[in-house]
Amino acid sequence: MEDLHYAYPPLTPGGEPIPVLKGVDLRVQKGEFLALMGPTGAGKTTLCLTLNGILPHLVGGTFRGQVVVAGMDTRDHGPGEMSRQVGLVFQDPESQLFNMTVEDEIAFGLESLGLSPSEMEERIAWALEVVRLTVLRKRHPLQLSGGQKKRLAIATVLAMRPQVLVLDEPVTGLDPLGRHEVLSVIEKLKREEEVTVVMVEQDAEAVMAWADHVVIMEQGQPVLEGSPRQVFSRVEALHDWGLAVPQMSELAHLFNRRQGTTFHFATEDEACSAFAGELQPNTQYPIPNTQPPTSNLQLPISFEHSPAIQVKDLSYRYNDGPAVLTEVNLSVEAGDFLAIVGQNGSGKTTLVKHFNGLLRPTRGRVLVLGQDTAGQSVGQLARKVGYLFQNPDHQIFAPTVWEEVAFGPRNLGFSEREVADRTTEALALFGLEDQADTPPAVLGYGLRRQVTLAAVWAMRPQILVLDEPTAGLDWRSTRTLMEEVTNLNRQGHTIILVTHDMKLVAEFARHVLILNEGHILTCGPTRQVFQQETILRQAFLASPPITALARRMRPYGLRDDILTVDEFYREYGGLVWRDEK
Amino acid sequence: MSFAFDLYVDRPSWLHRLDPRTKLAFVVFSSVLLLSSSHPLVPAVFLLGVHGILWSGKVPASRLRWAWQRMWPITALILVLWPVFYPQGDEVLWQVWRIRITTQGLWQGLGTALRVDALAFVFLVLLFSTDQTRLVRGLVKLGLPYEWGLTLAIALRYLPTLYGIYTTVSEAQQARGWVVGEGNFVRRIKSYLPILVSIIVTALRLADNLSLALAARGFQSGTKRTYLRELKLSPADNICLLLLAASLIAFLLVRFQYSPGIHLR
Repeated sequence: MEDLHYAYPPLTPGGEPIPVLKGVDLRVQKGEFLALMGPTGAGKTTLCLTLNGILPHLVGGTFRGQVVVAGMDTRDHGPGEMSRQVGLVFQDPESQLFNMTVEDEIAFGLESLGLSPSEMEERIAWALEVVRLTVLRKRHPLQLSGGQKKRLAIATVLAMRPQVLVLDEPVTGLDPLGRHEVLSVIEKLKREEEVTVVMVEQDAEAVMAWADHVVIMEQGQPVLEGSPRQVFSRVEALHDWGLAVPQMSELAHLFNRRQGTTFHFATEDEACSAFAGELQPNTQYPIPNTQPPTSNLQLPISFEHSPAIQVKDLSYRYNDGPAVLTEVNLSVEAGDFLAIVGQNGSGKTTLVKHFNGLLRPTRGRVLVLGQDTAGQSVGQLARKVGYLFQNPDHQIFAPTVWEEVAFGPRNLGFSEREVADRTTEALALFGLEDQADTPPAVLGYGLRRQVTLAAVWAMRPQILVLDEPTAGLDWRSTRTLMEEVTNLNRQGHTIILVTHDMKLVAEFARHVLILNEGHILTCGPTRQVFQQETILRQAFLASPPITALARRMRPYGLRDDILTVDEFYREYGGLVWRDEK
Repeated sequence: MSFAFDLYVDRPSWLHRLDPRTKLAFVVFSSVLLLSSSHPLVPAVFLLGVHGILWSGKVPASRLRWAWQRMWPITALILVLWPVFYPQGDEVLWQVWRIRITTQGLWQGLGTALRVDALAFVFLVLLFSTDQTRLVRGLVKLGLPYEWGLTLAIALRYLPTLYGIYTTVSEAQQARGWVVGEGNFVRRIKSYLPILVSIIVTALRLADNLSLALAARGFQSGTKRTYLRELKLSPADNICLLLLAASLIAFLLVRFQYSPGIHLR
């Protein structure tokens, strides 16, 4: 790829073209696993689309420079021909699985290539084998789980036997088990089939663990390139670009900066041996820590012991379906910050939809602020419980951000004056004053997320339910969102967060609830829950790397209930200091 | 699960193995026959016959029950309303003011109701035993352009998806205190605006991504398309088609040559 410039055609006739790629020089070696990282809007997806000629052939726009993949110049070969060499897997599985069975889905690309039925049979069997979906061959794609859908999407292009596989955020939105399934399939392809892999990914831990080479994109240009180890050692630069860093690299960086050490570990193993060299084995086990994580140390001023939500013997089944929730009992204190975790399909969303009346118990009762939700409409409950949906585009409709935010309060029947006050305040709180007159649909993903949060916030609910709010957000937008939510929590609002991101849970939640197949596996203070390795494993979850590291360091006298990088630093410092004394 | 608006029930039977074109021919033949005769006996016999076909084709009884549950309201409606609104003939059974019920009206009502049921079940023979991919393949093989067939298949595939988007979007707006407007038609339509806009935007995004996904899988790459499952007429298909052709000729002969009392006037 040489000096590639690309601008999308203008949105309105006579408008300006929208430049996205501004001089990209990139070489990818055959058989390499390249990870492409960058904040939202950096041009990662656009870059993917140039690799098989969709850009500029299908969309138009201004194209300058050269893209050569497997010896073919994309200016001379359209996506039809390029698809034999480059398999492109898109982010959204829903829009690329358009057939009625798994088998037909894979056959589609092969039929386009004009292969004979026997050759197709062979390739379908092979592709299904590789992504481990053979037994699901006759299923409808919509019956598959999230991870299975992504694997099928990979199989559909894989069967066309491309030399290069391009994957746009293949594990975003998947639960930990699904992520591992998908990533191990990609790794196997690279290793056994010598396929070159280009993967766009936000999750630094995954990139560190699986990729050979990392390229960081910023505003349409590659700005940093190297092995994951080299790239992630540039912690400050990456944070400046709004990107995440693996916890181990962050830890090394923290020690190096504050203590002048020269750690350059990047994995748990390396970190463990680096620290073990400095410490004496210590059989004295420290007293358990009962404090909540640091970022939440400050308790809300009006912390009263009154339950915000009580769930009593709740069971739920969709019409004639199997039970999704069985005998759930739960009490959430007012002012709590509760994280609900578990695999996809474990009943998380079903549970929280009971809190604002979108679902009604098949059996049992749900009480919100002491009142039974039975007999209260969703509209009435909306005053007490704000609910933020996963995809901001499912709620954005208004012509301006101001109107979008004013929609909720207006529905609740407040006077125009009150609506205006609340809207203005919500826009100010979430830093959206400048966008007040902009149509929300044209904002970037991070800002659209902010708009929806402001819109829910404008209704001033005591309780805020967030259903995977950070999926698809880059590191900086995630931080901003979580800091705002934590602030609301400090003011006494009850927060209920559904997420797959264990690092967020460890850092922000006071309590954690683990759901598994509709049952509560455990519910307790974050620190205690993350110590229950067996239970976590039972729900296919894992504690954050820093907690795992601390647990391995336990023979050296380190606490094993550490939740964040900062905590580790302080605890470790405490040990060294005590030794010196 | 509402993962598909699909009536297909996968069963190993002769009916399922038949070429979709044969079953389409059956549908066309039956429709012509049913629409051109109004004696209640014809659809009644047809209904029995079709149930026999469905039974021997191993279509589960639960599907038939499901179909009848959907058919009976319209059947009842026709049975009641037809004699009231089409009071033909002189044999008056019952009369109040200007409402007359005649024997002929009753017979015609029964005939129409049975005909609607029979037509529905004729189509169900096709839909219960043919998966959508094969159905579309059959239509393409009969001359429908492949692009049209693909469009049809994609439309069928995405109906449940769009319904899912509708559910999510309306839940998202309800959670913000949205309620269906009251009052006149225009007001109610206007109250749906927040939902419609989000759905349309989401659907357009979906369609856009879909077109890219098609391109990424070499659609319209210039190579002549092959098919994983070539449709081929089996001996069983040929027998069925022959039987259908013979029945059609017999019917036409009876209908126009001898013009006997099939038609109740």
